[in-house]
Amino acid sequence: MSRIGVFVCHCGENISRTVDVERVAAEVGKLPGVAFSTDYKYMCSDPGQGLIKKAIREQRISHVVVAACSPRMHEKTFRKAVEAAGLNPFLCEMANIREHCSWVHEDREEATVKAIEIVGMMVERVKKNRVLPTITVPVTKRSLVIGGGIAGIQAALDIADAGHEVVLVEREPSIGGHMAQLSETFPTLDCSQCIMTPKMVDVANHPRIKLYTYSEVEHVEGFIGNFQVTVRKKARSVNEDKCTGCGVCMEKCPIRKIPNKFDCNLGTRPAIYVPFPQAVPNTPVIDRENCTKFKTGKCGLCQKVCGPGAIDYEQEDRLIVEPVGAIVVATGFDLYSITEKPKGSAIKGYGEFGHGKIPDVIDGLTFERLASASGPTGGKILRPSDGREPKQIVFIQCVGSRAREKGISYCSKICCMYTAKHTMLYHHKVHDGQAYVFFMDARTPGKNYDEFWRRSIEEEEAVYIRGMVSRLYQKGNKIVVMGSDIAVGVQVEIEADMVVLATAVQPRIGADSLAQKLGISYDKYNFYSEAHAKLRPVECATAGIYLAGVCQGPKDIPDAVSQASAAAAKVMTLFAKDQLEREPIVARVREASCVGCFACKKVCAYGAVEEKEIRDRQGNLIKVVAYVNPGVCAGCGTCQATCPSKSVELDGYTDEQMVAMIEAL
Amino acid sequence: MTPKRILKYSYYPGCSLHASASEYDQSTRELFKVLNIGLTEVPDWICCGATPAHNVDELLSLSLCAKNLELAEKVDGDLAVACAACFSRLKFTQHTLEENDVKRKQVEKAINAPVKLDNRVKHLLEILARDLGLERLAAAVKKPLKGLKVACYYGCLLTRPPDVPNLDCVEAPTIMEDVLHAVGAETVAWSHRMECCGANFTLSRPGVVIQLSNAILESAKAAGADCFMVACPLCHGNLDIRQKEIEGVYNTSYGMPVFYITQLVGMACGLSSEKLGLGAMIVNPMPLLKEKHLI
Repeated sequence: MSRIGVFVCHCGENISRTVDVERVAAEVGKLPGVAFSTDYKYMCSDPGQGLIKKAIREQRISHVVVAACSPRMHEKTFRKAVEAAGLNPFLCEMANIREHCSWVHEDREEATVKAIEIVGMMVERVKKNRVLPTITVPVTKRSLVIGGGIAGIQAALDIADAGHEVVLVEREPSIGGHMAQLSETFPTLDCSQCIMTPKMVDVANHPRIKLYTYSEVEHVEGFIGNFQVTVRKKARSVNEDKCTGCGVCMEKCPIRKIPNKFDCNLGTRPAIYVPFPQAVPNTPVIDRENCTKFKTGKCGLCQKVCGPGAIDYEQEDRLIVEPVGAIVVATGFDLYSITEKPKGSAIKGYGEFGHGKIPDVIDGLTFERLASASGPTGGKILRPSDGREPKQIVFIQCVGSRAREKGISYCSKICCMYTAKHTMLYHHKVHDGQAYVFFMDARTPGKNYDEFWRRSIEEEEAVYIRGMVSRLYQKGNKIVVMGSDIAVGVQVEIEADMVVLATAVQPRIGADSLAQKLGISYDKYNFYSEAHAKLRPVECATAGIYLAGVCQGPKDIPDAVSQASAAAAKVMTLFAKDQLEREPIVARVREASCVGCFACKKVCAYGAVEEKEIRDRQGNLIKVVAYVNPGVCAGCGTCQATCPSKSVELDGYTDEQMVAMIEAL
Repeated sequence: MTPKRILKYSYYPGCSLHASASEYDQSTRELFKVLNIGLTEVPDWICCGATPAHNVDELLSLSLCAKNLELAEKVDGDLAVACAACFSRLKFTQHTLEENDVKRKQVEKAINAPVKLDNRVKHLLEILARDLGLERLAAAVKKPLKGLKVACYYGCLLTRPPDVPNLDCVEAPTIMEDVLHAVGAETVAWSHRMECCGANFTLSRPGVVIQLSNAILESAKAAGADCFMVACPLCHGNLDIRQKEIEGVYNTSYGMPVFYITQLVGMACGLSSEKLGLGAMIVNPMPLLKEKHLI
């Protein structure tokens, strides 16, 4: 006979405002099997939990029902309390009388009656709860980091410095990401390369970091502590072990006019190339689409001039399987392309700004390359069209961002600050030039950020115009900027030499397909979703996967670095234990009745169902049945719903429990 | 080519097309006849409220258009609209009543009839470019408009606001150019395709209209256009009727005829200048058309 304890929470006034909690406790107390019932203002608080523990000890309570908020909120809290008092935590259930009752009803009488019924159902359910033993799984203490920008680099270095091996996978031929492309960084104006490249070298030299550049994650299997990751290492056509990075191949390559993506297509590069001189690793890649050898079979000059004989035209993609226990995703961002409207996208494009048609309308990243000492102009601000120095320059903020009608409603967070920085860089380099900025609001929260923005106006003479631009068009040698100044209430027209658009930050193209490989969730813009917006901002809902940098939401460098270190700390916490405890809410197969149809295997999204042979003592095969790997099972219950012979049961959510709940109504 | 299907529409001309823009009405009817597209005027239609009504009373402006939509339901087929302002208001009403149940109930009470929204409101451009299709339109051409350099002027209302007309890309549409290319004309790339001409300020603040329309004329001329193509009687009025006056104020000369879509497409389909009402144009198009050997 069970001795059930029922604990009804007021949730301050959240529940007691509409539900008569004392009456609920009294009524439920009369149910068969209930030995004790009471109410309290904050059941989740220390005295509230104390109440439960005391009752378990003094009233010899065998099962617990807490009538309070959603189990998503506090099931863990109360199960921990029950465990501390010596009961199996899975003998505790929550009846949700807040989200499912008090918050959605107004009539006190009706809400109270409903609350009594909800609690009554859970009382019947908990009677059928079984003691579930905790499942433990071993932890592979190696971590995968996807993305070699500043966030990925920081996470990799932190984890490796803590003594764990790291596999760092980068899609491009070099690590460095967007930060390597920047000229100077706000709010201190220190050179991006000077603070970035030493970290890149640290990665390359770290004994515990295994670096795969020009590589992509192909496939992910497994679960927290035990992932198997397949990495596709694309054919570089250069043997990394032999190459000394002397660069003769790049000097001799006869194909020289390929637009350099790293320089936002302002400069050119040969067909065998490193993206930039400070690349890590300093090993070139042959761009097979543009290489004469690959296109026609002739040339082969790079192979002839290569002293160490590192050029290998026969090289093929390699698939490498890496076992890891945790994954940090740091895939970064792309800028909103306003040149054309992407097909099938909700993004509407900016035809009215003529980007892609007017050569001197550029985006912020292109301006960074112009301003960078290692850029295609050697740091001189020059127009892409004719190489003249622009004397009137207009910066337009919020292009794509905060524009619901264009398909993106969020703020990209970094543009106010980098535009202020751009006006400064421009003023430092073009002393007789004038910078104008069209802005909606200046959003500068951050240490020393507002001071920096003020400086661009007060000391660097940038003219800020509050208002948006409706249209840009070419008129002779000039670009006419038509906008409004809402502070004065007039239309403004500026004839500019160059226009820089602060285009919105978006997740990397293809972020959604990576998310599907990893089994993590993402929002409608393809930003990866954290488990809790406030309290678990670096973890995915999928256990063992963590987020760092802009792939989770727009961020500047300090924020991306902070999140990366936080993700690394989470990985270290996971690796602090040798065995991992998992919730035992997993499916079990009743082998006696299983007919081996494997309908469950087809529907399992986690690949948890395996085939198991049943043999007699002589070793003769009797039948093949389904087996659910408890380490992989996520407890979703799809197999239970699918099984035609009712041979799968999800612990904690058995048919018996569900029927008991329904019968209680 | 898609199989031929019979196209037929109800037709809402609107007040302007029965008055100052009668040549737009005439050329529309003639063109549709030639293209074998059925056009039945909505019986007993009333004013759409145009630009003033929605500034004064939202319910009134929605009800006026809803009444017209209700009347149009009596005729088979989607509702064809020529005037950009009527198109904007009718489309906006349809959109609002579809999205907002409260307003729909208010309007139904006001017009004392249930609002059905089965038939779509369509601009002539959509009918030519999509329903008929550019291929079939091109096949109907008898005399391609070779050598004519046209500035397509969209004005404010055809594509805006976002998500309502869904005629084409809001800020960089090409539907007018597509139609003209199908009938053999050239179009110029120019800057003021989407700018405001001053619209109905033409009576209350003519100075504003002269300034705005001049910018449009000037940029089209600079881009090398011979003439304009428009879809709106108000734009037409400001660019055509006021052109002489604007030339006087700015001491310049444009001499650019302003055609309606149906006039240019009709010309390519072999309709005579009488049938297209070219005589009603203030800036005489004949010298240009003769120069290009189009008449």
